[in-house]
Amino acid sequence: MLVDILPQGLKDFLGQDLVFWLGYISNGKHLNWYASVQYTLAAMVLGAAIALVVGLVAAAARSNGPLPLRWFAAAYINIVRGVPDVLFFLFFPLAFEQAVEWVYSFQVCTPETLALNAGRWPPCDAANISFSSFGYLILASVSLGLVYGAFVASVIAGALRAVPAGQLEAARAYGMTRMQVLRRVHIRQMWVYALPGIANVWMSIVKATSLLSLLQILDFVAWAQRLGAANFSRAAGLVHDDWRWRYYFVLLVFYILVTFVSEKIFGAIGRRLRRGMPLAEQNAT
Amino acid sequence: MTALDVLIGEVVRMAPAALFNIYFAVAAIPAGFGFAILLALGKNSPNQIVNRLSRAYIYFFRGSPFFIQLFAFYSLVLAFNLSTWKPLGIDGFVLHPLFLGPAILALNTTAYTAEIFYGALITVPRGEVEAARAYGMSRRQRFWSVTWPNLIRIAWPAYTNEVVFLFQATALVYFTLPVIGDQRDLMNLAEVLFQRDYNVFLHFGVAAGYFLVISFAIFYLFGLIYRRLMRHLPQERRLKFSWRRVQGLS
Repeated sequence: MLVDILPQGLKDFLGQDLVFWLGYISNGKHLNWYASVQYTLAAMVLGAAIALVVGLVAAAARSNGPLPLRWFAAAYINIVRGVPDVLFFLFFPLAFEQAVEWVYSFQVCTPETLALNAGRWPPCDAANISFSSFGYLILASVSLGLVYGAFVASVIAGALRAVPAGQLEAARAYGMTRMQVLRRVHIRQMWVYALPGIANVWMSIVKATSLLSLLQILDFVAWAQRLGAANFSRAAGLVHDDWRWRYYFVLLVFYILVTFVSEKIFGAIGRRLRRGMPLAEQNAT
Repeated sequence: MTALDVLIGEVVRMAPAALFNIYFAVAAIPAGFGFAILLALGKNSPNQIVNRLSRAYIYFFRGSPFFIQLFAFYSLVLAFNLSTWKPLGIDGFVLHPLFLGPAILALNTTAYTAEIFYGALITVPRGEVEAARAYGMSRRQRFWSVTWPNLIRIAWPAYTNEVVFLFQATALVYFTLPVIGDQRDLMNLAEVLFQRDYNVFLHFGVAAGYFLVISFAIFYLFGLIYRRLMRHLPQERRLKFSWRRVQGLS
């Protein structure tokens, strides 16, 4: 126990009750719970990074790609956004797993084993694959990125349209090529207009990471569920009855803290981006 | 059986489940709408206590995931079961997902809708309200004949998106609340069917199709209402199709 290393004088000062509760919230299982924040945070950051890349690519394909690509991007943006995030979040890892199993089945399945499992999944028992918890974390981040990439794409498409035409015309008049205008002026200024929308998508990603436990990932939410459930132990009897609501309210506070901190950070970034852009200051808020 | 038969069979099998999602949304929307008006006025109130409380409520529900809110409020209600609901004899009703689901959805959508209404409230043209005041209208008259018609017209496009996202949030209800008998929504049924034959594309695909179609139907319906709200304007201003939601904490 971590509280055992406290000096006796401090323990006397705190009193027996407080020392007990300090011991409770710092026991091994609770330390595991605090450590599991890393998975939630990793999924947030990785998911957001993938969403940003997917969103940029989809926005570019939507506006500048060849025709079939343009249709594909439009279909992706509209379909993904019309479907609940939880549905896609569960669908993508399962579909990916089955695709891997299907490819793998060509190597390991014999015609006999295939016939034995006909009409069922996996194609044969040897082709059954299950990913590690880490693998699911990566898959979950990718599906977060794919879902919220569609939201980022429409934010960026809107921001690209919001850059004043005069800015682009002026850059053209200076003799910049189209690519130079795009890189040096259009995309640079686009960020100012896109930032409020991107901040909103980030908040959505933060909230969507609460779904990680649905993919059997032992994240912050899953640990809270375990710790809150009525706890019997053979040595101590009933340790506590159903305390789940207390743990869930700790989770709510955790998420509110994350959104609060993100809000402050995005506010600071926005102020910095808008330096010397009086026009953007009016439109971007 | 051809692939088309399988698909049609799946669509027919999931139709009752879609009704549960529609029920959750339809039951939560009126309550959320009504409370949101009060909460938006509260956020605009000069009374510091009302103002702070309204802001705190909106911040709390918009800053945390709906999935955890479901867990938290369900387990909170469950914790009062033996002490309160059982003795009163209303435990079957209070703990029933068909009551608790819309109740928690309504708590959530109240916050999002209130933020939309508040944003609209502070952009209502000041001159119109001052003119109404000069005519000697009472506070109540000013609100219902000047502020409210302006507010709802400004807020309607954003409110449409909120309703669509509320409908999509109904997919989360049965991940938390207990399934009673055969009462399953689209997401839960898709998962149960998936566990039987591992056909992820068929079950999740059809469920996704239902969500898409109903979301489009909401857009169409709310677009019609928007056109009616805007009928006094000379040019036809139609609700532009977009999935954009004023979400998060901007």
